[in-house]
Amino acid sequence: MVANSTGTQLAIGCEDGSVKIFQVVPGGIQFERNLDRRKGRVLCLSWHPSDTHIVAGSIDFFRVIDVTSGQTVQRIMVNYHVEKAKRECVVWAIALLSSGTVVSADSFGRVQFWDWEQGTLAESHTVSTSAVLSLAVAQKEDSIIVGTSTGATYHLQLLPVRLGGLEKRWVRTKPFQFHSHDVRAVAHSPTALISGGLDAQLVIRPLMEKVQKKSYDAVLRKFTFPHRRLVSCARKARLLLFQFSQYLELWRLGSTEETGKDGEVLPLCRMPEHLVQLKSKGPEHIYSSCVSPCGTWLGYSTASRFQLYRVHCDGDGVSLRKVPKVPKLLPPAYQLQFSADSESLFVASARGSVHVFQLLEPGGCKHLHTLRPPSGCSEAVYLLAPSADGHWLAAVSGDWAIHIYNLKCFKHHCVVPTYDCAVSAIAIHPSTNNLVIAYSDQQLFEFSIPEKQYTSWSRTVQSRGLHRAWLERDSPITHITFNPKNPSHILLHDTYLLCVLDKSLPLPDDSALLMNQSTLKQLPETARKRQLHAFKICKKFQPLLFMDLLDKNCLVVVERPIMDFKTQLPLPVQQKKFGT
Amino acid sequence: MNLDKAFKATLSADVYRIHSLPQGGALVLFRGGAVRTLDVLLEAPQQEIENLISAEAIRWSGAFMEGQQPVLIFTTEKDRNFFVYVQKPKLCSLHKYKLEQQGSAKPLCFTAHITNQTVTLLCLYSNNSVYQVLIPLQQNTEEEEEKEEEILSKSLLLNLSVSGAVLKGTSLVVLDKDHIAVLGSLPEPGKKPKECLTIWNTKFQTLQTSKELPLGTSGQLWCYEEKFFLIHGKVLTVIMYKCETSSLAAAVGKLKDSQTLDVSSFVNWNTLEDEELVVSFQSQESVALKAESRMSLRSNRSTVAGQSGPLSVGQLLLRLKDSSNYVVETELKKLMAKAPTPDLQATIGCVVTALTDRCKRNPKFYPQNLLQEIVETRDLSYSLCPDLMAVALEQKDLHLLQMCLERFPDIPEEITYACLKAFLSVSEDHLKSVDVNLDSAICYVDVELNDMEVKTEILENGFSEEMDQDMCDTKIPQESRSVGESCPVGLQKAALLNAVLHSAYTETFLLPHLKNLPAQQAVLFLRYLYYLYVKCSEKVNTTLPGIRSPTINQIMDWMCLLLDAQFTVMVMLPEAKDLLSNLHKFVRAQVRFYSELNKIEGSLRELQRLNHLRESQTYSIEVLEII
Repeated sequence: MVANSTGTQLAIGCEDGSVKIFQVVPGGIQFERNLDRRKGRVLCLSWHPSDTHIVAGSIDFFRVIDVTSGQTVQRIMVNYHVEKAKRECVVWAIALLSSGTVVSADSFGRVQFWDWEQGTLAESHTVSTSAVLSLAVAQKEDSIIVGTSTGATYHLQLLPVRLGGLEKRWVRTKPFQFHSHDVRAVAHSPTALISGGLDAQLVIRPLMEKVQKKSYDAVLRKFTFPHRRLVSCARKARLLLFQFSQYLELWRLGSTEETGKDGEVLPLCRMPEHLVQLKSKGPEHIYSSCVSPCGTWLGYSTASRFQLYRVHCDGDGVSLRKVPKVPKLLPPAYQLQFSADSESLFVASARGSVHVFQLLEPGGCKHLHTLRPPSGCSEAVYLLAPSADGHWLAAVSGDWAIHIYNLKCFKHHCVVPTYDCAVSAIAIHPSTNNLVIAYSDQQLFEFSIPEKQYTSWSRTVQSRGLHRAWLERDSPITHITFNPKNPSHILLHDTYLLCVLDKSLPLPDDSALLMNQSTLKQLPETARKRQLHAFKICKKFQPLLFMDLLDKNCLVVVERPIMDFKTQLPLPVQQKKFGT
Repeated sequence: MNLDKAFKATLSADVYRIHSLPQGGALVLFRGGAVRTLDVLLEAPQQEIENLISAEAIRWSGAFMEGQQPVLIFTTEKDRNFFVYVQKPKLCSLHKYKLEQQGSAKPLCFTAHITNQTVTLLCLYSNNSVYQVLIPLQQNTEEEEEKEEEILSKSLLLNLSVSGAVLKGTSLVVLDKDHIAVLGSLPEPGKKPKECLTIWNTKFQTLQTSKELPLGTSGQLWCYEEKFFLIHGKVLTVIMYKCETSSLAAAVGKLKDSQTLDVSSFVNWNTLEDEELVVSFQSQESVALKAESRMSLRSNRSTVAGQSGPLSVGQLLLRLKDSSNYVVETELKKLMAKAPTPDLQATIGCVVTALTDRCKRNPKFYPQNLLQEIVETRDLSYSLCPDLMAVALEQKDLHLLQMCLERFPDIPEEITYACLKAFLSVSEDHLKSVDVNLDSAICYVDVELNDMEVKTEILENGFSEEMDQDMCDTKIPQESRSVGESCPVGLQKAALLNAVLHSAYTETFLLPHLKNLPAQQAVLFLRYLYYLYVKCSEKVNTTLPGIRSPTINQIMDWMCLLLDAQFTVMVMLPEAKDLLSNLHKFVRAQVRFYSELNKIEGSLRELQRLNHLRESQTYSIEVLEII
């Protein structure tokens, strides 16, 4: 399924060998017509940049279709010159360049360049012994990245044969091995190669020749977890809700009666309890989920449905009851969030709107209001943060604007000054009603909702600048919470660290050690004072999926060891190495 | 090259030199001028070798590949006439040429190279000039046969004159078509001549560069793969060079970054220990003792002679030959008190050799304490004083032997075996009066039991070597119960045997000697080894206490070696039967024990792994302190 360059038409290749063209209309798509149907399933499609032709890759061949006439104008067998033609040659990825060159990537590990009008093979590069699965072309069409089933990606570049000469050829320049499994998707940005694999990793490899200086931008980055909340916590009921792609799991946390010194593992007096597993119906993935702070409500949404459940805990048994007659929404719900008193539910929706539901005992739900930004918004809301007193709600939409609504009168209160970066986490302080915002460039802001302006601490942070080591971290802050005991504490976490930000302490400058906890622990109490700074970072738990403060001295941390899901992956393509 | 497969072939004529060629194998040049390829020669070593040059003496030879054919060129001298022979062994062709005479000057050094079917022979003459002789390789053979002897005309290539002074060349090497290197000495008025390595441009007749070699050289120069090799003082010096294309600018030294001699590195034998000592020793010896070595002939003598201290080694050695014990001792004390210089090591080697020579000549002369002190304080090696141990064996100086075994890294297996045999055969009685270093054995040999054993020996008065063997017959059955519990040898003997266990050896070379060990001694040695093994196994870390005590690996290796060598004998001996069966039982028990341990280790590993797995999945409540 590929859209054309202007985004007005969508071409869809089907199993039966047909290519269907859909018109993109506001709010949906509309079937336009069928292009020439030929035998053989269509595995990949590519539009010509001028939208005149479509190239469709199938097994053993690809064909070029004229969009206006709908006729197949060229059909080229790709396995023609191969001895091992007994096996079928699957064209996994294809691209049609503006020069009329067709680039095909096939299961024989070849990347081939064809002149489709002549039907001739211009160049063939066998990049791998295993299949080439994905292909992406740079905007300038001088560079191609391909991903293979061995987890390797290869970079091909159009380079002059002689320095300064006019004749250019495609040359395989750089091989990269960042993945252990199939590289299913690749993308080519102006300065970086991006690849995503079956090993659940997203890798961004900057192209060194495009990066001007050796800086933070030139660093290879790997992402394993989505920057979304997958775990939600019912603080009062001490429940955790885990969101998996097809089901939800509700756990009750264990407890202990002991205390101990730093690093000690305490004996449990109650084991954690798996309360219930809730399977979502149908093939759709769960998009978002949430459990209410009191632990009696549970909601999740898929691409087409939104479900709300009432959780009844009676002794050891747990029963779930589906709330009937949930108001129909224009799906999907991008984010679900219960209010602190568990009396209302906020549903982040498309076009910047937030639906407010009132939850009714013993198990009902009523649509109360829909909050919309006054200026309108085309993007969906993806982050929500209600205040503890139930007075305010902050919502972040895809255009990175943060709107604050007054829930008492369901009115738009204000907009946080725009900052040109994605918001990765927001939270409203329970006592001061300051909104703490973490951006994906690692900047931290504190915005006073009642005063509609940045706080003085936030201004200090901005004028002083954050520590370099903090700014150069890889993964964004995904969750913010507060310490009810100490209002100056802000708790933050990303994939690799959790941090207690103490606003009462001085900010560290670049010469100071940012991760100074282990140093501090070695110092005597008296000597610690001078070394203290605002960022108290703990890297003990990695990789960190979720962290929340249950009560004043109880922190819940969810780790997801990479090895756990690596072992569940199918075996990668075996490669012989050094005769083993 | 596998040294195991090396074999000796006796030839019917004297060999002058063996040349190896990159693809052509090896060529053997005989003194008589005949040439054979090594393959042909080895097929029939005794084949008749013709004499081609009668009374001429070969002065120089060189081998080259011309296409697929090896070509061997050599020059001969007879009555101040020089001849050049060009041989192609594959074609059995031989050409003889006579070199044009050059007044009174005679050639000192030759070098040759082949280009375009022509041999270019460069000769360094004693009149300090380099001449070039061209010899065509392709010739009409018939025409050749007509003439008896063709006289080769030569042309002057280069005059070795440096701003008035003349370089007295000793050897030359061709670097490329325009450059040659000459090693020689430049006379300086009022001073001794200084030696230097020079590179000349023959095209422009200029001296390109030179390097002074103040320590003197052997007069020889080799050149392989853009590196010069020469002996500078006592050091093998490697000098890398790079020849740039000859240009006028380079010749007159106007080229900006012409680095002809860029890096020079040294391989200094004296900084390396032990194995290299041999080399320095030999060079020392050749300088000090044999005052007529080729080396000192070619270069000037004074450079090297000036280095050897106030009392030259030669003088000292002469004095050692016949002066009294006291004088020898004081002289040597003086020598040893000297600050360590690089050549002191070699000097002491020479001194020890001189002393042992004297001991050999006069059995009454044996400066035991002096020799012990030298061995103890100096890092000597066997090869530095090869006769020392033989003399010590003769004199039954067990303490010195023990010290040598502990310290020398290169004792031949034959000597090691001789020591072992001597130690095993010497009576415990005699040993009691001998002063040996007991450090290696005192910590584990049970003294009480040992005393008991000594007592029994005292009871058997007049204990001798033969008696020892006889006694074993009667003693072993009695002791068989306590085998592995008490030490079968006395403390002194144990210490001596430990020294043998400590020495380095190669199995293949030791094995044939061990086969000669008398059966009773072999059994005694095996019992001692068994005792050590049991002692070792008592400890968790399987090591014996004490300084220089044998390690379990040494014990096991010797045990295996001894059983290998003496197995048939052992099996036949009735008194060895119990010992062998005990040993077998013990080893089997050990093997079982260790295999059980291995199993336990495996299980523990698995448990640990499972534990880890569980740990990573479990839920835990931990205390986390954030300051």
